[in-house]
Amino acid sequence: MFNNILHFRTGFKPAKIIITCLILLTILSLSSIYSSLHQGGAFTDQGIFYKEIMWIIISWIILMLFSLINYRIYFDFAYILYGINICLLIAVDLFGRSALGAQRWLNIGGFNFQPSELSKIITIFFLARVFSSEVNKGFLRGVIAPFSVLMLNVLLIVKQPDLGTALVLVFLFFLMGFASSNKKRYFVALIIAGLIFSPFAWNHLKDYQKKRLIVFINPNAEPLGAGYTIIQSKIAIGSGQFFGKGFLSGTQNQFNFLPERHTDFIFTVIAEEWGFLGAIILLMIYIFIINNILLVARYKKDNFAQLLLIGMACLFFIHIFINIGMTLGILPVVGIPLLFISYGGTHLLVSFMLLGIFLNIYRQ
Amino acid sequence: MSSSKDSFIIFLKRLYITAFLILCISLLYYQIVKGNYYLARAKNNYVRVIPERSIRGKIFDRNGVTLAYDRPSFNIAVIPYQIKNNKEALLGELAKFCSLKIKSLDRNYNRKFQNFFTPVDVIADIDKKEAFRIEEKFANEVLIDPQPQRYYAFPYETAHLLGYVKDAGSFYERLKKYGYSPNERIGISGIEQYYDDYLRGTDGGDLIEVNSSGKIVGFLGKLNSARGKDIYLTIDSKMQQAAYESISGKKGALILMDSKNGEIFALVSYPSFDPNSFVKGKDEIGNFLNDKNNPMQNRAIQSTFPIGSTFKPIAAIAGLEENKLKPSTTFICRGKLNIGKAEFECENVHNEEDMHDALVHSCNVYFYNVGITLGRQIMADYAEKLGLNSISGIDLPYEKKGTIPVSSIKLKNRWYLGDTLNLSIGQGYTECSPIEIILATNVFANEGYLVKPHLIKKIDNMEITEPKSTKVNVSLQNISIIKKALRGVVESDEGTARMLEPLNLSIAGKTGTAQTNGRPHGWFVGFFPEEAPKYTMCVFLENGGSSYEALKVAYSFLEKLKEQQLL
Repeated sequence: MFNNILHFRTGFKPAKIIITCLILLTILSLSSIYSSLHQGGAFTDQGIFYKEIMWIIISWIILMLFSLINYRIYFDFAYILYGINICLLIAVDLFGRSALGAQRWLNIGGFNFQPSELSKIITIFFLARVFSSEVNKGFLRGVIAPFSVLMLNVLLIVKQPDLGTALVLVFLFFLMGFASSNKKRYFVALIIAGLIFSPFAWNHLKDYQKKRLIVFINPNAEPLGAGYTIIQSKIAIGSGQFFGKGFLSGTQNQFNFLPERHTDFIFTVIAEEWGFLGAIILLMIYIFIINNILLVARYKKDNFAQLLLIGMACLFFIHIFINIGMTLGILPVVGIPLLFISYGGTHLLVSFMLLGIFLNIYRQ
Repeated sequence: MSSSKDSFIIFLKRLYITAFLILCISLLYYQIVKGNYYLARAKNNYVRVIPERSIRGKIFDRNGVTLAYDRPSFNIAVIPYQIKNNKEALLGELAKFCSLKIKSLDRNYNRKFQNFFTPVDVIADIDKKEAFRIEEKFANEVLIDPQPQRYYAFPYETAHLLGYVKDAGSFYERLKKYGYSPNERIGISGIEQYYDDYLRGTDGGDLIEVNSSGKIVGFLGKLNSARGKDIYLTIDSKMQQAAYESISGKKGALILMDSKNGEIFALVSYPSFDPNSFVKGKDEIGNFLNDKNNPMQNRAIQSTFPIGSTFKPIAAIAGLEENKLKPSTTFICRGKLNIGKAEFECENVHNEEDMHDALVHSCNVYFYNVGITLGRQIMADYAEKLGLNSISGIDLPYEKKGTIPVSSIKLKNRWYLGDTLNLSIGQGYTECSPIEIILATNVFANEGYLVKPHLIKKIDNMEITEPKSTKVNVSLQNISIIKKALRGVVESDEGTARMLEPLNLSIAGKTGTAQTNGRPHGWFVGFFPEEAPKYTMCVFLENGGSSYEALKVAYSFLEKLKEQQLL
């Protein structure tokens, strides 16, 4: 039944649909960030807004550039890129310690750059290459080996500490693994093993990370920290009702009740100001994008390209679901940006990069 | 294979359609079903956090004397939403009532404003009685906001050592991922910064609901705040005070260290500043920040200078170790040395002398000859071996590393023989921080071991294991030759540091007068008692004039320690 819904033809080509969606999302992103930076009617933190405009311009250029690069190059360079990625993360780890014991960005020309965001795209290359090999390598070489290599990356990111991104990478591994392999039981075995070892991992989490997970299970456990945000987020979303309060009129947002409004909780601003209608339209746009990526994936003959697209779709899906889920209080607050909307340069850049790759695959 | 992917794509579509349906249903529930309920909550009932700041850990010296602690302070706060219509009038009346300037109240308001429902402290840290008087007068418009405030018992004496604390607000973007809130205090520089993770507690607070006129209508929850951990330092507060008094009035630094294990007893830098005024955000902060003497800079670890003759023992040990010199090697000093057209001077005409005498007299010509014999590379290598050219790793932030012209370093100009001569007397490209030179000299006191300087002794009840010293690869025999010569510097009638001998502490050491653009820097670095060294010290005076000035500071410092029977 779902298939029938999803396979309606619009007469447009996937590339055109995606570009149209992107333009809509860009407009929505700018307007909601603009709104989120208002406080009591005054436009505060204007610098953030102008920076975002810069990032958006750069991202569109990147999109065009990547649509011109033959995607097979990522197959050839997957392992090298993965190595560079690990080095970058180690660099941040070493560099970060000197500055207040706390930093996850490399500062390049005044713009903060987050290698952990870049990690996501490179991990997709890496997994697509590993899993696209036709030979069935068996449990040890086909599953355990790539998993161990991936865990190196994951642990470096957990250490930063960035729990959200680390989780995304693990999800990607299993989703892309399932997609490629006939031996799905291998992956199931790994998941079971992971569950057994999870108490061990729990002990290695930072206090505030533990707190966030506890708060997820019981928001009243900590009404001041993450719990406070969730309560405020729910009030803001709920009070938007069907049509919303209108642009620049979200009171919860404007009175500064919501922390991290322009980043992780931007969906709350949209849902408050544009209501149920706006939120559903946003979800529809997302569905269009993912649907079109998968449509192309289905008709591609190249194994690697298929896996790239599947990885891309999974990454987008995970981002959207976790972010919106956390603003609604049905998923833990793990600090994942809202796809194409949240403020945050590297995240935007990486998402546009992926769509650039999509356009290239589509064209070939 | 591809059938596997096909079926996965179908699976994935089902997965995300289901997920999106869940989101839609949640949205439907919150926005449509419970929309009116949330709208009412948004309109009439505001949720507000009344924060309760945690108590930061105390900082003690080695004997349990408190150096820094939190004391209660009383602030007068207003709630922006409540006073939004008569803000100017109210602040004006408040200022008049407390005879303060309305400007400073305004500034506090703008600086500390967070949102319309979080109290803003407009008057900070006033007397308890005064606070209640104000609250009585402006009953419904202001509230007393008691907050812990950092207080430093020896503000000027320990300013560079301990640093100070500030609201995390201005650094919030960078810190929030690590669980800091904008109201929390964060350590800036010194021990407060280095051990912030231990010192900071966890803030708590009450979550309450208020109606639109600011009345509390519901209580939603409470989170208890948790104290930070106490820290014990190796510092001796009396020694620290004596050090500060001794160097007062002279730009520079003074360090006293345990020769055996690198524990720091005293570390001061002058001029200093008042961290208490930073905590309170007082007006005089500007004076400290704009002072051209840089009182904020910790001269003991954060700046490097030419070290002058204190380099000579290092050149000497290099010669002995490489078998290029013997203790009996003599050179003749005629008061100067001519290299080509350039003339290299000495303080005096010392005639023929051996290594011991050359160190005692601090003869430049002798060490020019040592420089010519050894060359740049050997001297630089030994300097590096003794810990110069690298940071000491002391547990303080922003340490600056000195420079030794080793071969890997990039020079602006070509290397000339004259540069080698300058190196041999610690001039030219050579620059060190006081902490570096005290460590290098301590190798002679500590039987060839390079200690790791540190300030931490205990965190709460947890003893900190002493960092390990590293053995420098030099022979004990050669070390004792240098050590004897350094004793001679103080003991001998011709020694450059003989003015310290009357203290009867059996001091060994080396003076240095380093030429620079302005007046020369004065150095003294030494240890005592020579037979079994317990203390190593370094006095540095920036543009102090000469080593004589540094010796005077050292003398008065040691005299104070003796008087108070601290040694």
